[in-house]
Amino acid sequence: MATRVKDVQTNVEDLVTAREARAPSRQPLAVPIDQPVTFPLELPESEARLRTPAVGQRATRPDGRLHGLGQTQYIDDITFPHMLHAKILRSEYAHARIVSIDTSEAEKMPGVIATLTGAEVPENSFGPTYQDQPILAYPIARHRGDGVAAVAATTEQFALDALEKIRVEYEPLPAVFDPLEALEDDSPKVHGGDTNIYTSKVIKKGDVEAGLAASDHVFERRFSTQMVEHVPLEPHATIASWDGNGRVSIWSSLGRITLGREDLARTLQMPQSRIRLIGTVVGGNFGGKNEITNEPIVALLSRKSRRPVKAIYSRGDEFVSSTIRHPFIMDYTTGVDNEGRILARKIRLVLDGGAYCSWTGTTIGKGSILAPGPYNIDNVLVEAYAVYTNKTTTGAMRGFGAPQVCFAYESQMDDMADALGIDPLEIRLRNGFSENSLSPTGQSLQSVALKESLTQAADRFRWKEWQA
Amino acid sequence: MLVELTVNGESRSANVPPETTLLKMLREYLGLTGAKLGCDVGDCGTCTVIVDGVSVNSCLMLAGRADGCDVTTIEGLATADELHPLQQKFEEHGALQCGFCGPGMLISAKNLLDTNPEPSVFEVRDALAGNLCRCTGYTKIIEAVIEAGEMMNQEQATV
Repeated sequence: MATRVKDVQTNVEDLVTAREARAPSRQPLAVPIDQPVTFPLELPESEARLRTPAVGQRATRPDGRLHGLGQTQYIDDITFPHMLHAKILRSEYAHARIVSIDTSEAEKMPGVIATLTGAEVPENSFGPTYQDQPILAYPIARHRGDGVAAVAATTEQFALDALEKIRVEYEPLPAVFDPLEALEDDSPKVHGGDTNIYTSKVIKKGDVEAGLAASDHVFERRFSTQMVEHVPLEPHATIASWDGNGRVSIWSSLGRITLGREDLARTLQMPQSRIRLIGTVVGGNFGGKNEITNEPIVALLSRKSRRPVKAIYSRGDEFVSSTIRHPFIMDYTTGVDNEGRILARKIRLVLDGGAYCSWTGTTIGKGSILAPGPYNIDNVLVEAYAVYTNKTTTGAMRGFGAPQVCFAYESQMDDMADALGIDPLEIRLRNGFSENSLSPTGQSLQSVALKESLTQAADRFRWKEWQA
Repeated sequence: MLVELTVNGESRSANVPPETTLLKMLREYLGLTGAKLGCDVGDCGTCTVIVDGVSVNSCLMLAGRADGCDVTTIEGLATADELHPLQQKFEEHGALQCGFCGPGMLISAKNLLDTNPEPSVFEVRDALAGNLCRCTGYTKIIEAVIEAGEMMNQEQATV
């Protein structure tokens, strides 16, 4: 046994040395040399990693058979005895103060068992970063997708009919729809205060002004991208059932149930131990089902009615009320030398955040870090601002801001290649990341196969022939 | 109103309110939840079923209009012993990811192969144009439909 410990001791030292030699940029591992670990610190390089055997292979899914048989159980396929159906009334204005909500006529409608307004929600705010979003807007509605009241009735049709009987008195407020206008001092402020900017990020590397001054050519252009809705084929769906012991079970199409349970505990003001959140098979997420939406509404309607309540978003709800991809306005100023080598890149990003923060923090972070592109640039300045507007809330969507900035920097690479008479592939190879390149935030990059990938792809689709 | 129809070869009936769609009748009155509600306006195709040999968006068809009709849903494709060739090929190709479009997609594909046993890729794309999928990018679905057609033709030839 003693011998083995000694062997391990030697191995640890060797491994640390070997690791440092391979990745000099890394800090040495904090391996407890005096108290050697008994497991190997590094796994041998697996064959799979070297050969990526998945490429070109068919992938089957364990749930593929039930999908094909139509027997996969999504939330809308689940029913309970005496279950009610909930529908949500949306705001009539993009920005308004709600003076009053009268649900009394709706409650007299056939089949209606319960109604709910924002004033009845125990803690009427949620959000993965800032808790700036109401469950049901009250007293301010900040975009047309804000729910203002909800109804639970014995059928969906009864619930829809009852929505028409809810009387909401609004006092319209000035609204702002353009993110650049929202930056101005005299613009309407979506959440009050003196600015609509709710998150910003700055990345500095080198001296961008000096780099631009030293450049042979400077290219400037504004790029913008639009809103994108995820359009999962299964709309957001929830069933809540409150039992006699004061515990609630919630079946939800939510992707992050642990986070969701925290938000539910907060909004419902009850301990997590009394909330059972069941993540079901999801009919498409793409980032749009990463935070709670109607779960607290359905839970509270279930508590009021003492019945299970189901809510399925209509496709219209899905477009106006679920989150969407951030539209970006991107100002790129790039300095290059005569050979097309990038010396400096200055970027301003304005993210149209819509009415609430949602996953903007992640989006602005990833968008900013990736904004200069996969290119070696010594002088970089990225300034990014997320601004509130009275529009649909923007949140998580595949890539978290990466596709938007990619569109901008790659478009500008083409602009520069065209102006300088350099082959678009060549200008990318001249600037592209290679092994140990430093990212704009100073991270030393490993396993970089950018140039190899570009070259191989260009060969495969015969880039040279297309150019000729 | 009483609606009587044949679903997957069985006589079925239900008393439904007159505004009930065929989709709602199938799902909520007959317990056939394979066809899905995706958009409720006839855009996405998740509710596709075959009515008297024509694939229709069952969210747009009133149940009353299907009275006396012969309806095939996804539940009518496989037998107790074997999968339909389309189901088998979809499974092998990994043509379904989240699966929500699957029942509608398969029914549209079945209707195509019923009427056109050797479709071209273009014809497959055309037949599936009313069925949206947000996960797969359609490539595997189209490959699966072509292969299922070939498989069905071979089976036909050996009979």
